[in-house]
Amino acid sequence: MSNSGFSRRHLIGTGLALGTWAAMPRLARAADMLVAATFPGTWNDAHKAVLVPYFHKATGADATLTIMLATDEIAKLSAAKGSAPPFDVAIMDEGPLLDGLDQGLFDKFPVAKSRHYGELLPVFQDEWGPKISIQAIGIGYNPKKIKIPPTKWDDLFNPAYKGRVGLTALNSTLGMAFMVDLARVNGGGESNIEPAFTALKKLLPNVGAISANLGAHAALFQQEQIDIAPYNFNFVQTLKAKGVDVEFARLETGVPAWRTSLHTVKGAQKPDLALAYIDGHIDPEIQAAMSKPPYDVIPTNSKVPLPPEAVRLIAPSQADLSKLVYFDWRKINQGRSAWIEQFNREIKI
Amino acid sequence: MNAAVAEGVTDELRRRTLPRLFSPVEWQLALPLALFLIAFFVAPLIGLAVVSLYCEPNFQTLGLVQYRRLFGDSFNLGIVADTLWLGAKATLLCLVFGYPLAWVCARAGPRLRSLLLFIVVLPILTSVVVRTFAWIVILGRQGLFNRTLLALGLSDAPIDLLFTEPGVIIVLAQVQMPLMVLPLLTSLQRIDPNLADASAALGAGEWRTFRRVILPLSLPGIAAGCTLVYAACATAFITQTLIGGARHLYMPLFLYQQASGANDWPFAAALAIVFMAAVLLVVLLLSLLGRARTARIYA
Repeated sequence: MSNSGFSRRHLIGTGLALGTWAAMPRLARAADMLVAATFPGTWNDAHKAVLVPYFHKATGADATLTIMLATDEIAKLSAAKGSAPPFDVAIMDEGPLLDGLDQGLFDKFPVAKSRHYGELLPVFQDEWGPKISIQAIGIGYNPKKIKIPPTKWDDLFNPAYKGRVGLTALNSTLGMAFMVDLARVNGGGESNIEPAFTALKKLLPNVGAISANLGAHAALFQQEQIDIAPYNFNFVQTLKAKGVDVEFARLETGVPAWRTSLHTVKGAQKPDLALAYIDGHIDPEIQAAMSKPPYDVIPTNSKVPLPPEAVRLIAPSQADLSKLVYFDWRKINQGRSAWIEQFNREIKI
Repeated sequence: MNAAVAEGVTDELRRRTLPRLFSPVEWQLALPLALFLIAFFVAPLIGLAVVSLYCEPNFQTLGLVQYRRLFGDSFNLGIVADTLWLGAKATLLCLVFGYPLAWVCARAGPRLRSLLLFIVVLPILTSVVVRTFAWIVILGRQGLFNRTLLALGLSDAPIDLLFTEPGVIIVLAQVQMPLMVLPLLTSLQRIDPNLADASAALGAGEWRTFRRVILPLSLPGIAAGCTLVYAACATAFITQTLIGGARHLYMPLFLYQQASGANDWPFAAALAIVFMAAVLLVVLLLSLLGRARTARIYA
């Protein structure tokens, strides 16, 4: 070894230096850092631009956002059960939330310590974590290609749109809600999904692309790979603000919607920071900022008025939000895995 | 006495034929890595196998239900076959483009070679996600490829490449190209240029020289490159899902759906085990092929 010009001391010195370097991120993390899950699209944008800076000002701590679908969050949290969770704050839609509660993945929200929980409309209060918004879906379309705005799912079947319709897989709430609502307008529903699959089979000649994940759904419109697709209200608004030719069309058959919420993950490294982060999201100041374009996030705090675009396209007033079409996600969860399997079989080329 | 002599001879032989790379002490240097692999690779793999033996998604009873379900359904087996076949097609395309590139690199002067090598390696320095998204921009209906095609009047309507299998194959072949070129280059560089001259002097044309001399001698490189590219292509979750979409269902996406969307970990684990075995089998065949041919040539 001695002729290699590589002494033991040298080796140990290098090893120590490397070790110290590797430990650095841990040290940096020890200085208050919260890890929060967020959804792709509008949510990631709004959280990064509005919530994280506010959180930093209020607590002096930093927050790292990690983009994931709710089903992925559940998968990761249940895999990490018993050890330190990979993130401290979860963002959930109604279906995956029930799974998470069944598996005991979340802590109760410390309502007494919250400054803004009491300001939420009663339908948005939940002891497991406040509802931060309502997500509504309809049809996103390219106004340059489609001159008459669509008004119902039936419009997707128009032969003129051959190869121009986009769909998304059932791992997102959008994909699942679309299928259930397609069943509903065709005489079925959460307990009878078959009408949706019958319709889907008829729709397939029109389908140009099915995105495997929601993040890629935006790219379909951006690249003009498709002209029309089921889409979230907020996502269309955000995409439009980025200069993409896309408009949101309200469904005459009723606007499907679900509530989105934030939760402290059981075993979170910094429960107090998690509370501050979640409480920030229901702060009227933050909800007002997020209700502005390009986010148009529908507020849940009674002190914040609906954004004009939501008034025009979703509901005239906060009281009318309860008249949107809501689903029984307990029933949907029971069908989920069988539906994913059937969906795979029906759509596979 | 005889035995002792024989022992001495074998010892001597061993010393000469097997240079003693590792003294017992140095073997121990490999122990940390071995322990690391046992803790973070072998143990989770065993865990995966155990999970696959549960009959229900909520881990109630042990049994072979998941494997019966997998092998009893032609839909599932079709996905395995599609994925293996996709890997084969992408690997072949990669070889067709990679071989000439490696050849040029091997024959270039030192400066040009380092420049070419830099260009070949460049893609590895960017994330697969970035490379794949770049391809979305190129392959889309309004993308670079289609616009060029339309502008040149070569086609009246945009050609669909995004969300098609040919699109996935093209992107996989490009994204994994360095894994093909680097081993090929190494084996091509090892070939003595005099062999080609000798072949020419004996009257062989260029094609014949390539087919009878260069190609057989570069087989170890081909086998190594194909092995690496195949394993990478068959399991490329990001490229397959972003370029192929949900209608082209390959094993990585199928696995992800079962674990994350359907929350059926035992079935996902069984899929993972079967898929891993299938890919390993193909890789094994590839390396056998490389070895068998070289053995014959050198014999």
